[in-house]
Amino acid sequence: MQKPRGKASLRLALGLSALLIVFSLGAMALQYRATAAELDRRERSLLAADLAGLAALYDQRRIISLRQAMEFRSAAAPETGMLYLLEGKDGEKLAGNIDALPKGLTPAPGGIDATDPVAFTLTGTPYLGVARELRGGFPMLVARSRAPTEAALAATRAQIFATALVLVALSLVAGWLASRFVMRRIDRLNRLADQVAAGDLSARLPGPRADDEFGALERHIHTMLDRIGHLTRAHGRLSDTIAHELRTPLNRIQGKLDKLEGDPEAIAAVSSEIRGTVRIFDSLLEISSAEAASGGGTGLVPVSLSQITREVSELYEPLAEEKSLEYGAVIEAGCKVLGDRNLIAQLLSNLVDNAIKFCRAGDAITISLEEGPERHILSISDTGPGVPAAEREAVFERFARAERDREVAGHGLGLALVRAIATRHGAKLRVLEAEKGFSLQITWPKLPAEMG
Amino acid sequence: MEQTAPEALQAETAPRILVVEDDRATAETICEAVTSLGCEPVVMRDWESGLKAAELADFAVIVMDRMLPGGDGVDAIAKMRGRGSRALVLVVSALGTSGAKIEGLEKGADDYLAKPFDGDELKARLRALLRRNQMVVLDNDLMAFGDVEIRLKARTVHIGQTHVAVSPKEFELITFFARNAGETVTRMQLLENVWNLHFDPQTNVVDVHVGRLRRKLESAAGRPIIITARGEGYVFAPEA
Repeated sequence: MQKPRGKASLRLALGLSALLIVFSLGAMALQYRATAAELDRRERSLLAADLAGLAALYDQRRIISLRQAMEFRSAAAPETGMLYLLEGKDGEKLAGNIDALPKGLTPAPGGIDATDPVAFTLTGTPYLGVARELRGGFPMLVARSRAPTEAALAATRAQIFATALVLVALSLVAGWLASRFVMRRIDRLNRLADQVAAGDLSARLPGPRADDEFGALERHIHTMLDRIGHLTRAHGRLSDTIAHELRTPLNRIQGKLDKLEGDPEAIAAVSSEIRGTVRIFDSLLEISSAEAASGGGTGLVPVSLSQITREVSELYEPLAEEKSLEYGAVIEAGCKVLGDRNLIAQLLSNLVDNAIKFCRAGDAITISLEEGPERHILSISDTGPGVPAAEREAVFERFARAERDREVAGHGLGLALVRAIATRHGAKLRVLEAEKGFSLQITWPKLPAEMG
Repeated sequence: MEQTAPEALQAETAPRILVVEDDRATAETICEAVTSLGCEPVVMRDWESGLKAAELADFAVIVMDRMLPGGDGVDAIAKMRGRGSRALVLVVSALGTSGAKIEGLEKGADDYLAKPFDGDELKARLRALLRRNQMVVLDNDLMAFGDVEIRLKARTVHIGQTHVAVSPKEFELITFFARNAGETVTRMQLLENVWNLHFDPQTNVVDVHVGRLRRKLESAAGRPIIITARGEGYVFAPEA
């Protein structure tokens, strides 16, 4: 059996953590956007406050006071991250901490206010500022560095990214741990089920049951196994009792029959009826015990399928010759299976016996055994009356009697026993499409290499 | 065969056969068969006393039921052997599926007969076991019955100067017959001992094999070698 890896539980754990990661990242993204918007608003209001101060001075004493204020503020600029520039009518610098207007920036005519600020970059630093051409042709620039804001936002982004990485790593670990925990509990149950399937109905989990849903499942399985074990034992006892209670009176009948003086033929006929009756419940008991043991390897040993097939085919050869049947067997040597020699012989004997019984003089019976790539392929074909397609499945049922059986003795258990024995050995049974007659193929699992 | 014929037996040397069987009617049938073979039956009705009897006295054969009050007869075999009993064990049981038979044989039974059984079948089995007790040398090369010679190593059969060609299976068949020469051998015994098959096939396949061997032997010897016995089997009677 292939060992199940905790795929389902791992998937579930990973799915849940992925969902949690998406939620928390979404929350962080919203927070980030709010922070960015707030920082931007503060930038603008600081710029606006600065401009409002300058505007007040300009209103009082025009360019002169503006120039003084700019000189004064430029001195403090390295700390505040501000840009100031006031130019004269001919483009000469009157005041400020830069020498010329940055390229691409055209001062718009107007007063000193904070409407429509423009973003620009100067020597790698982002700025937000206002460029105006004051009355009389004096270009002016006031701008505020956005670097601190950008840095704060970049730090936030890095933090979010790191958090996401840590979350993914943590959820992988948590998912692996959770699936390992679940798998350990489930593995116990799987091992138990394997043991039971292998035929050990008395197998139970060691140790106490935990007080959780796994414990409850284990308790349920134990109760179920107890019940199955009880039923199996009862069934076995019933079979033995039937065998005993029916055979003992039959034995008395047989004993009394032996003592009877009379027509030996009539006595032999009654004797043979008794034998037939016994054969019916022998077959029934064999079928149920083979079915009960199906799936497990208990009681099976390595045997040569080739040899058993050859022995049974040789056992029936003279019988077929006496009936003038064409009888051929092509048996590849060395096909081994894990099996019960006597049961396999009984399976083959039932099939060959049937074939001989239904065939008429001149018909052919072919037995073949070959080693296929995955399984040993045994087939028994005859050119007898065959079975109509509609009845092919039914012939394997207990007490099934197809139309062809009416005139031939039998109890209809032969093929049911064949199927039960095949199932016991893990072999697959298939009725082949044949132009004429009945053709059955049985594919047997090969002996595991380590047992060869 | 002289040894087992009733009239040739001295009363004190009559082999004793222990019958462990809880069903009265069946025990009676078995006792009759035992008596008719010139042996002395001792009947025990449960597992414990059967085991005790096997310990106290010396028996040639023990006929053992399986589902006895007190236990499974098959489980008593190892115990009996452990306590020194050298008796051969014939299990006679209602557990008659091939699986049960093989289990019995594997657990030490020398033969296994399923109920319901035929009186002749039981007698044939008992005779074969009694004979096995008396057989001293089995592994010498030659088995000779008058002019019929079976060479075990060469696996050949000769009648007078004539070599009779037999198939390997037919050789095993005639060897089994020879080991039970003069006794009735049943079809079931042949199937179990020569073919090692422990189930009852629907058709009497064995008959055809015996028939072939019989014809071969008869045409070489000019007289019947294997004769059909009344009831259920054949007798190998080469010196008739």
